[in-house]
Amino acid sequence: MADLSIAVRHIGNVAVILPAGFINAHTVREFEEALESQVQQGRYKLLLNCKDLSYISSAGLGAIMGLIETVRENDGDILLSNLQENVFAIFDTLGFTQLYRVFAEEDQALAAVAPERKA
Amino acid sequence: MAAKVDHAQFRLVIPSQTRYLNLVTGLAKRASLVAGLDDATAAKVSIAVDEAVTNVILHAYRGEGEHSVELELRFTEQALEIHIWHTGQGIHSDQLVLPDPKEYIKHPRKGGLGLLLMSRFMDEVQFKADAVSGRNECCLIKKIS
Repeated sequence: MADLSIAVRHIGNVAVILPAGFINAHTVREFEEALESQVQQGRYKLLLNCKDLSYISSAGLGAIMGLIETVRENDGDILLSNLQENVFAIFDTLGFTQLYRVFAEEDQALAAVAPERKA
Repeated sequence: MAAKVDHAQFRLVIPSQTRYLNLVTGLAKRASLVAGLDDATAAKVSIAVDEAVTNVILHAYRGEGEHSVELELRFTEQALEIHIWHTGQGIHSDQLVLPDPKEYIKHPRKGGLGLLLMSRFMDEVQFKADAVSGRNECCLIKKIS
């Protein structure tokens, strides 16, 4: 099994990104490219659904941090949902839960970022 | 009669390549469970080890993949110790300045978070240099409560 695979879904103008596996210094470039690709397509509302993300190191956090200013300058945001306990601990320990909006479920995050969307 | 064993330890040597990170962090997690730590703590230990080994590969060895990183796991009744040795550029504990998370949130930037995670998730993080052997060490200690 690959260390990391990434699926992307578009729901309205929101890019839902689903990383599965491990984001570390070895796989971070793939993760970075997935995020940057959405921004290059003009999608600035990014939702990271982390339900299948087992692990993220500071390399992955740096990739998210590297894009936050760009997306917010374009009326976008990066949201997080479905964090596993150990992944939440990493975000929370570093204060990222104050920087990013975190939701228990993807639907809740979508409702917050695209309230005009009909279920 | 066999001699009494007070502690157990073993070593693993990996090439200085990030492709082996997953192997090392998996080992650190399993070792933590063997040492008696719970699942959540084991996950934190594995992150700290990831950060320490990543620092060695990317910074001490500047991403050069032909070097070695040596890890030793020591199990005692009081703690799990993970010693990481390398011959690249060393750092010393008294030179370290950990980022302030509150400042980090005000002024986000890439990088600088690995050491913070290591210090938050472990009970002790020590950096040592051996002038005789030329080896540098990062020692991570997690106490077993």
